[in-house]
Amino acid sequence: MLSATTLVGPATVFVAAGLLVPLAILFRYSFDKVDARRIMIETFSFDNYVKFFSDPYYTGVLATTLRVAALCTVVCLAMGLPLAYVLARTQSRFKNVLLMLVVLPLFVGNAVRAAGWMTLFGSKGFLNVTLMQLGIITQPLQIMFTEGAVMAGIIAVNLPYMVLTLQSVIEGINRNVEEAAFSLGAGPATMFRRVLLPLSLPGILAGTILTFILGMNAYATPVLLGGPKFKMMGPLVYGQFQLNNWPFGASVAFVLMTATLTLTATANILIQRRFRR
Amino acid sequence: MTRSKSRREVLLGAAALAGAASLPRVASAQAKGRIVVGTWGGDYARLLNKNIEAPLLIKDGWEVVQDQAGDPERRSKMLAEMRLPRGTTDVQGLSAINMFQMHDAGSVLPIDYGKLKNAGHLLPAMKYPYGVGHIYSGKVGVYNPKIITTAPVSYKDVFDPKQGNKVGIIDIQYQYTMVCAALAAGGKVDDLEPGKKLLLECKKAGMRIYPTNEAFAQGLKSEEFGLGVMWKARVVQWQNAGISVTSMTPTEGALAYVSGFVIPKNSPNKEGAYAYLDAMLDKSAQEAFAVDMGYNPTVSNAVVAPDLNKRIGFTSDEIKNLVDLDYNYLNKNDVALKEWWDKELKG
Repeated sequence: MLSATTLVGPATVFVAAGLLVPLAILFRYSFDKVDARRIMIETFSFDNYVKFFSDPYYTGVLATTLRVAALCTVVCLAMGLPLAYVLARTQSRFKNVLLMLVVLPLFVGNAVRAAGWMTLFGSKGFLNVTLMQLGIITQPLQIMFTEGAVMAGIIAVNLPYMVLTLQSVIEGINRNVEEAAFSLGAGPATMFRRVLLPLSLPGILAGTILTFILGMNAYATPVLLGGPKFKMMGPLVYGQFQLNNWPFGASVAFVLMTATLTLTATANILIQRRFRR
Repeated sequence: MTRSKSRREVLLGAAALAGAASLPRVASAQAKGRIVVGTWGGDYARLLNKNIEAPLLIKDGWEVVQDQAGDPERRSKMLAEMRLPRGTTDVQGLSAINMFQMHDAGSVLPIDYGKLKNAGHLLPAMKYPYGVGHIYSGKVGVYNPKIITTAPVSYKDVFDPKQGNKVGIIDIQYQYTMVCAALAAGGKVDDLEPGKKLLLECKKAGMRIYPTNEAFAQGLKSEEFGLGVMWKARVVQWQNAGISVTSMTPTEGALAYVSGFVIPKNSPNKEGAYAYLDAMLDKSAQEAFAVDMGYNPTVSNAVVAPDLNKRIGFTSDEIKNLVDLDYNYLNKNDVALKEWWDKELKG
């Protein structure tokens, strides 16, 4: 018989060696000091964290990241829930095809997908040319290198994750409980609020957490669609490592990770408490 | 209190060694030994293989392996491996400023030019004590004559707030752009303050910032803007791609861009490293790079066809007038300059 330790061991060792050890090393680096000649000098100071939180530029980048990730998550939930419901309840023989269509955007990498958006959003891109030829606009709209373009890109990436998570949970909810609500006089909105929403909460939470984390850590989309002036935390972390400023890059990475984990855990607790009542 | 850190260097070095073990092989094992070449990927790596490695080294019995990565990653690796008795690469391709940075960090071998039979032809300016120039170009003014009807002649004409949103700059070229603007504003290569002021004025007037060279080219092509600065070699590539763009060598003197190779101090195969540098300076390899990439040869015996030379080359006066960066100044102030660029100019 395999013991629990044997079963848990390989995955634990793999995660510890591949994630926790590098994280611990990176955390230690975040207290070091940058040095042009040796990358960094070992010391123990909170200077990098103080620099981050005392500079409106860096706190602004964090605020932008939180705003974009939160808005994208809300939009993904609003668009994903009806779609997931239809997919879960459909009796169509094309259900598997529909599911494949939802997953289709994940078949190409983020960078390739963003390149596609670039051809769509550019000043001489498909959207602008079409609008100009239809006479709706005379000057091309500035869509590229805006927060709106980044959000459109991130939503397109994250939506399938939300839909798939919700669809699998809604599928597990017995259709009879919805019918029961209707037979007792509840309208569709009441049924949704009193029956479907509480029962699909685990899926909503999982999908929300997943899309929020993906939004917080977005890299290729903000770089390619946001342009040089638009900054989110992912590109900021990488930029610091490119500059060989490992200590500050490490501290920014830990600020990002802490913010993501804290907000995710807080939202999880608050929502579960709200619906337990 | 501070101290140097052997622990983390050993850790990083171990990681680097593990990475090197998975390097792709581009040639099977040969009799003379293996040369590991740190280089950027893409066209440059392909052309190193086509013009240097395959015809001059592999044919002679060397095994050549490319370790392809961006230069920040490769520089970090060099620093991490510095204390190891045996490194993982024999030569590293870097820009002149990064060659200096690695020299300043004490990670590269002084070049013994006596070991290079082609060194006699090397242009004096390309003979660094710590590295060898492979190709060079200059930062010239670029403009679309349809948009900019009065031809600019200087960096001052390019970085002129009166041009408003007709001017474009490139985010990843922050160092060179700041130095060009400094020269335009009457500053020097080690005094960028006037350039910063001028860039802020241009930004206020509507100057556009593009993330990469490719995005800049796309903007030029779509005529979003019509004026900027770029390597002359790259302008030739754009012209070949059908973009309506003309270049001019600025009266302040074009900033030189040199790409070269250094030998890490702990190179496992120093003989192979010198063989690589020598092959890189070979007349045939240098001529091929001029044709394939549009960069100028760094050896005097390379012959560039007159029509190509007219497009990629510089006159003897322009060569005399080339301006080199102050590597020491930029190396020491890089983090601060980038912070200013991100926060003040782009913010």
